[in-house]
Amino acid sequence: MLETALKGSKKYWILIGVLFGLHGMGATAFLYQLSKGLTVTGMSRDVSWGLYIAQFTFLVGVAASAVMVVLPYYLHNVKEFGKITILGEFLAVAAVNMCLMFILVDLGKPMRMLNVILHPTPNSILFWDMVVLNGYLFLNIIIGWVVLSAERKEVAPPKWVKPLIYLSIPWAVSIHTVTAFLYAGLPGRHFWLTAIMAARFLASAFAAGPALLILLCLIVRKVSKFDPGKVAIQKVANIVVYAMIISIFFVVLEIFTAFYSQIPGHMHGFVYTFVGIHGHGNLVPWTWAFAIMAVIATLMLLCPPLRKNETTLAISCLLVFFSLWIEKGITLVITGFIPNPFDTITEYVPTIPELAITVGVWATGFLILTILYKVAVSVKEEIAS
Amino acid sequence: MSGNKSSGVRYGMVIDIDKCTGCTACSVACQQENNVPFREDETNKVRSITWMEIYQLDNGMPYPEYRQAYLPRLCLHCGASPYPPCTFVCPVNATHRDEDTGLVNHIPVRCIGCRYCISACSYHARYFNWWDPKWPKPMEEMLTPNVSPRMRGVVEKCTMCVHRLQLAKDRAFMEGRSELEEGEYVPACVESCPAKAMTFGNLLDPDSEVARLAKSSLAFRLLEKLGTEPKVYYLSSQDWIHKLADKVM
Repeated sequence: MLETALKGSKKYWILIGVLFGLHGMGATAFLYQLSKGLTVTGMSRDVSWGLYIAQFTFLVGVAASAVMVVLPYYLHNVKEFGKITILGEFLAVAAVNMCLMFILVDLGKPMRMLNVILHPTPNSILFWDMVVLNGYLFLNIIIGWVVLSAERKEVAPPKWVKPLIYLSIPWAVSIHTVTAFLYAGLPGRHFWLTAIMAARFLASAFAAGPALLILLCLIVRKVSKFDPGKVAIQKVANIVVYAMIISIFFVVLEIFTAFYSQIPGHMHGFVYTFVGIHGHGNLVPWTWAFAIMAVIATLMLLCPPLRKNETTLAISCLLVFFSLWIEKGITLVITGFIPNPFDTITEYVPTIPELAITVGVWATGFLILTILYKVAVSVKEEIAS
Repeated sequence: MSGNKSSGVRYGMVIDIDKCTGCTACSVACQQENNVPFREDETNKVRSITWMEIYQLDNGMPYPEYRQAYLPRLCLHCGASPYPPCTFVCPVNATHRDEDTGLVNHIPVRCIGCRYCISACSYHARYFNWWDPKWPKPMEEMLTPNVSPRMRGVVEKCTMCVHRLQLAKDRAFMEGRSELEEGEYVPACVESCPAKAMTFGNLLDPDSEVARLAKSSLAFRLLEKLGTEPKVYYLSSQDWIHKLADKVM
């Protein structure tokens, strides 16, 4: 089936070339980081996790979102999703790959990463994150590939894959819950010390991931003969609306709890990201960009004519994706470290090698995504003809 | 609380802030004893490695009410049960608390450098090696032979000079003793303090100086409300210093 990815239009090869080039740039920057150490990044004692771990956190959400098409299709028999479950699963594969790469580039000693398996520690949430992420990756590769192969042969998928599909549904929830627990269980980090962290993560995941899926569906329809279907896209859009409203609601809950209780440790993080403290406010423009984009996107999605029109829907989805990317891929993780437990402020700005590696990992993920989508779309076109 | 009841040993420290002059002798002694690497330019305080860091505190008042003090901060070897926050999160078992002594240790050769423990430590007591450790020419021959230097990319921390405990135990064994006497095992920082502001010993031994001081009404611990149960106590007769200790809560 993979051979279908070797035949493509000129545009396809240009896209592959560009992504491969960016991947090369990231890989070169990573070799530089490997030779100099993490000192080439902007991280420090006080902000010990930066852009890498923040991207990882966001992408876990994108990966988990595949469940939003798999669950309705397999549990509620929503037929329209039958055509796009494969797109959701392959998006999850690419996203989990990016997650794993982001953890890898964040390690001080990446060559020792197998120690996580050699010295297993069930008390560490990071150990469980390794378990659930790898499990989810394999589940989606197997399910996606087997179901697509069966579709190509125009036979029903083998029976043994059904239990795996059902397993993948709670598993998707688990990857994001475990990732939220990475943060939510640390003493002295008030910004993260909230019981709704996992719920917040899931809500924003089910908005950002499906928003990206809608954009990908629209692109697929434009560049190929495969049509994911207008009804399916609208149904995913409904999911995005609900999840986006819940996400914003959860953020409001956090702000209320912090400011009505007036507990200093709980307020500081929000003060830092929304207005800045003592002249330190690197994240202020980002936070407002998130807030404004999130509100505009929600209003646009709530308005039926704007949601039904695919051009405005695409704009709303872009806004949803980027606003939540800022929220989880930048502000949530970094603000957790500022101010530090001793109430002093150390700012964080990513360096150029750090940005290059980040872009490189995203490009590698999209390279995987492009190839997998090419396979899926080719198979779908083959059946249709 | 850590420290095995049966072993009867739980090492801890008491630092008298009223006696501390902020001379940083403890910090220098620690650096030398534990082969802590340093750089020509140590101005970047958020990347330097100082197992024993000296904080300057002040009460924020204008003259003549202005008061200041120094607070030496090492790893507090948290006694929280069942684990201290840092060892609890480590995905590779590269940091560990010896339940027979209560000392929290690091295992740098196993560390993958994920820095989860740094996020989990509320005291900034864990340090990441941002650079390759390097010493200027003559100093390389002056490294402590009992302490292995750490490599770039791993996290390290105060060990309470646990190698000194090993040496003291070896000596006692050769002399046919099974128990250490008070003062036989003392970390380099305590030994170096010219103001005698630091006291080290077994907190579980009711006759020890350290246990007596830890029970003093002047004693307090940092961010005690987090429930981390630090085994490093501070003494001060000044109220404003006590208040700073729980500041963020």
